[in-house]
Amino acid sequence: MSIDSYRFLDFASRQVMKAWAARQKPGLIPFTPMTKPLAECTIALVSTAGVARNDDVPFDQDGERRDPWWGDPSFRVIPLGTTEREVRLYHMHIDPRFGEADLDVVLPMRRLTELSREGVVGGAAARHYSIMGYILEATVLLEETAPAIAEHMRHDGVDAAALVPA
Amino acid sequence: MGLVQRVVEASGIPTVSLSMIPDLTRAVGVPRLAGISYPMGRPLGRPHDADGQRAVLRGALDVLATARGPDAYVELPFVWPESPAQARNASKDLPPPPIVELLTRKPWLIAKLYTGRIPTEVQIADQQV
Repeated sequence: MSIDSYRFLDFASRQVMKAWAARQKPGLIPFTPMTKPLAECTIALVSTAGVARNDDVPFDQDGERRDPWWGDPSFRVIPLGTTEREVRLYHMHIDPRFGEADLDVVLPMRRLTELSREGVVGGAAARHYSIMGYILEATVLLEETAPAIAEHMRHDGVDAAALVPA
Repeated sequence: MGLVQRVVEASGIPTVSLSMIPDLTRAVGVPRLAGISYPMGRPLGRPHDADGQRAVLRGALDVLATARGPDAYVELPFVWPESPAQARNASKDLPPPPIVELLTRKPWLIAKLYTGRIPTEVQIADQQV
């Protein structure tokens, strides 16, 4: 690995991330083979920036302020075509202004549509998703949120998904 | 993010993650990963840099096509145009997240963040008394 994963982090974040990396036990890693070429695949995106539409329920920032060990484990649907004018970013551990100036910085739906026009991918899914990246206790995220997102994707005929951190 | 990716993959949908901290995402154990040396908050690149963003997204999606088995890892070659200090300075005026405020007041709790032994609600109520 030649990328320095900790290059852009401040000292404290670097120490915490290194400690977390050291205590992971990955076990068996799931792998679902692609069944068709990328150029024929409908792709869905998942952003961990805590993106929610202004006409949807915001991620619960007050809950995290009351209990800083807690992060909102729910997800939001972001329909294709949603722009930065219609959303806010609720993740309190990143600077939200970059994604609020240009949503493609965190949820690249326009770039995906362009790649679809170029023939790189088959298409952009009708619905994309956002969760909050700061979840220390992941039970609800893994037992409810992630399966629900996968079920939405199956319903939409999604062939593959790309997850984008924040 | 890596944990969510594993659930979606296991449900039968092939997945790839982009990561600015590929060391941590690989440690979690994911099927396909594209590492990138960009600052937090800007995974695809700078606002309004459509060409740069498209190149990053394409680089990540290509891993879907090239991976032959789990733990497939590709490092994207893109270079952030600022130093880490410059990239962090852009966000200096933001308030710290709640956990940082808490740990600044009660630094002895930092060990819990390191080890992942997250306090329960009852314990938190005790701390506030």
